[in-house]
Amino acid sequence: MGEFTVHRVRFFEYMPIALRAMAYNHRSERLAVARTDSSVEIFNFSDNYYQEKVIPGREGGSIEALCWVGLRLFSAGLSGEIIEYDLENLQPKYTVDAYGGPIWAISSDNKETKLAVGCEDGTVKIFEILKDRIQFQRNFERQKSRIMSLSWHPSGTCVAAGTMNMIRIFDAETGHSAHRMLVERGVGAPRKSEVVVWAIIFLSNQTIISGDSAGKVQMWDGITGTLVQTHLITKFDVLALSVSQDESSLIAGTSEGTVVQFQFLSSIADQQNKDWVRTRTFKNHSHDVRALAHTDTAVVSGGMDTQLVVRPLLDRVEKNTKESALHKILFPHRSLVCCAKKSGLLLFQFPDHLELWRLGESDGHGKPGDSLPLKKKPEKLIHLKRKGEDNIWCSALSPCGEWLAFSTISSVRLYRLQIHDDDICMSKVSKLPKILHNAQQLCFSSDSSKLFASCSHSSVIVVSLSQSECKYVHTLKPKSGSRQPVHLLYASDDGKWLAAANTGGEVHVYNLEKMKCHCKVPVYSSCPTALAIHPVSQNLVMVHADQQIFEFSLEQKEYTRWSRNLQKHGLHPHWLKRDTPVTHVAFNPKNPAHILLHDMFMFCIIDQSQPLPDPQSQLSNQMTLKSVPECERLKHSHAFKICKTFQPLLCATLLDDQSVVVVERPLEDILTQLPAPVQQKKFAT
Amino acid sequence: MATRQRGQPARLTKKQKNENAVKTFVSAFDSSEDEGPEEVTFEDSKAEALQSVEQALQSARREKDLLKEKRKKRQELFQEQKKRKLLSDEVLEEIDSSQKSHSEEVQDASVTSQDEVLHMDEETKQENEKLENSRKLIGNYKVTVKPSELASSQQKMAEDFIQSRLYGPGSRRTTSNQLLSLHNKRAINKSAAVEFTKKNWAEKRKSKAEMKKMRWRHKHIPSS
Repeated sequence: MGEFTVHRVRFFEYMPIALRAMAYNHRSERLAVARTDSSVEIFNFSDNYYQEKVIPGREGGSIEALCWVGLRLFSAGLSGEIIEYDLENLQPKYTVDAYGGPIWAISSDNKETKLAVGCEDGTVKIFEILKDRIQFQRNFERQKSRIMSLSWHPSGTCVAAGTMNMIRIFDAETGHSAHRMLVERGVGAPRKSEVVVWAIIFLSNQTIISGDSAGKVQMWDGITGTLVQTHLITKFDVLALSVSQDESSLIAGTSEGTVVQFQFLSSIADQQNKDWVRTRTFKNHSHDVRALAHTDTAVVSGGMDTQLVVRPLLDRVEKNTKESALHKILFPHRSLVCCAKKSGLLLFQFPDHLELWRLGESDGHGKPGDSLPLKKKPEKLIHLKRKGEDNIWCSALSPCGEWLAFSTISSVRLYRLQIHDDDICMSKVSKLPKILHNAQQLCFSSDSSKLFASCSHSSVIVVSLSQSECKYVHTLKPKSGSRQPVHLLYASDDGKWLAAANTGGEVHVYNLEKMKCHCKVPVYSSCPTALAIHPVSQNLVMVHADQQIFEFSLEQKEYTRWSRNLQKHGLHPHWLKRDTPVTHVAFNPKNPAHILLHDMFMFCIIDQSQPLPDPQSQLSNQMTLKSVPECERLKHSHAFKICKTFQPLLCATLLDDQSVVVVERPLEDILTQLPAPVQQKKFAT
Repeated sequence: MATRQRGQPARLTKKQKNENAVKTFVSAFDSSEDEGPEEVTFEDSKAEALQSVEQALQSARREKDLLKEKRKKRQELFQEQKKRKLLSDEVLEEIDSSQKSHSEEVQDASVTSQDEVLHMDEETKQENEKLENSRKLIGNYKVTVKPSELASSQQKMAEDFIQSRLYGPGSRRTTSNQLLSLHNKRAINKSAAVEFTKKNWAEKRKSKAEMKKMRWRHKHIPSS
């Protein structure tokens, strides 16, 4: 197999960002998640929860609530603006100022014609949703305190609004408040403290469900304006509520990190007196749960501990299948680390700055498993802050380490680096072609002579780089005319091919010598998560979100024999059950039969010359093979060689000098830097 | 009763007062027991009474006069202070004149012909460069709104509200390290608290020491 020296990198201080709001679109099975830095991520729930799209945020921007209207996404935040997002170009399409101060809640009615927005000044503003914009229609009666939460009745005739200390029901025609319900303070709370109604839901049988800061979930009758039931579920706040589409199951998220489920059941077997009964409690978070979504089969929760947890409900899903497993999404599904193979440099992408590090050196030799002493420590060479307010979207480092590029929503910046032993010289390339105003994905060619930037309509802009300037060469457009954004780009080592994959599942291959589209890989139902072109055999290796691996020959324009063999044999069930996607594919220059892949919890070297594993045999058998004598090893060894020593992984690649770089981010380091959780007294501590 | 050594002199009690009265009465009696009463004519006593009344009136008048004078002095003082606060007349005249000329200019700009209007508009534009988004109101007042400050202050207030509700006083919070230390305490293999020893102690000192070491190395070791 081979021995490698491993650079174990733990100085990438990546901090994930807390979740603030989420909205699930039942029609397209997509979940939109907003984080506290005003970035929006879209997860495809039908494709193994893959993070399809990321819209970067702004400094000073904030999102308090998200809302889907059909396939359009709206958000509202404390800046007082309603933003509609362009999901094809991954940017805000336009912003409309509501002129009511900071906005706390946004909600659309079932007919998708009106959008209600709850503002700081106590007004509920109604906007009309037109084909490509929204227009202000009217205000409801102004209240004395801020509107914290809103919910439309499914028929669109009433709106329930949660303000400080009370809940108001507005009539949508007249805009006047029909009922006023006062929410009680908790027991023992001082008289001056106000109760905030954090979340509210209006059901079709005229029941209003509210969650407040006293820790209660209350059920009210919307016709008479009276309290029906109270459930005290926590000592702390109830921050979020969500109800399933058939209105039989309700979930409430608390500050303690628990998610409590209520179901509309009758205590006796007959149908008549149904009540909301507390059934399950899920304790999947350590910090506050601020965002909840109830899909048809699962409970999705997220909050201040930055993890997105999908918990399938076992009464709606078959047990002991992959569908019923708990799913935690910790790290982004795209690579934040760029490695310059020839020069041993690492580029780390943070939302507001970039860091360039040089790897350390060691000249020791040792047995497998030893840690070698460092001759030279890794050092941070450049700390580059972004200019302006927009966060960094993507970044790239050329393989020789001489060019650095990054892009935000508004601009692309290119820098030339000259790094000798201790001298670092960085100069900005000022005049970039005007057509290059932003890029969703950036990639350098292997000889650093060209920069590829993906832009709208799935096309790729090719720019040539010379000593100190860059010139526009060509725009590569796909034949299919798709409008989906490109999320993966790879240039082959010999500079002949360029592969681009978009979120619609299409992979286009361009011939760089002729600057034309060469071919398109047959579309597969799942989105590709990583791709690479083999330097020797010119085969395109793709890994998809459902863990399938394909190898496509570019010269013959068909799948290779090995790939067909793999499909016939089928992948090992343990491989298919993994829940994190493969984010990087690399090759070994010395051994052309090796493919190196990694996901968050393992990295694997696939040896194409060895037989494929049997479904019944053990998949990760590297440790057991060591203990078995030599003659037996050949019988049991198979193509997939998995190593789980380094976890959790953000990146694993091979450098030109046969050493593996492994970038880890220990979870304890993240956990210690999270904001304050609530204090819970445990017995005997 | 003996007099006190410290403190205020004791007030006379009722008994003592009676005794004093008796003493004076008795002394009056003692001095002229055998002689007859003194003769005091009616006129004398009348004159005395009148005098006493006059004196009382005079003293009252004097008091009133004193008060009047005090009031007068205070008023004068305030007036002086007020005068000092207000701008001098000259400055007021200047401002008046400049405002009038400004309004005249603006009126002129609206009255003159198109060509001239263009020129004047440019001038007024230059004058109004700083005052973008300004509107003229009646009475030579101008209003300028700085939208960004207002919006960002409202946003900041909203952020402060949510911060104080979730993390402010009364929210009973602890640190993440405490939470992890609790896990360690209650785990099957009990271990020490997280960050039991503080590893990042004296960071600045350590980095300074590193820099000094590097400088020493460059200085003293002959570099190639």
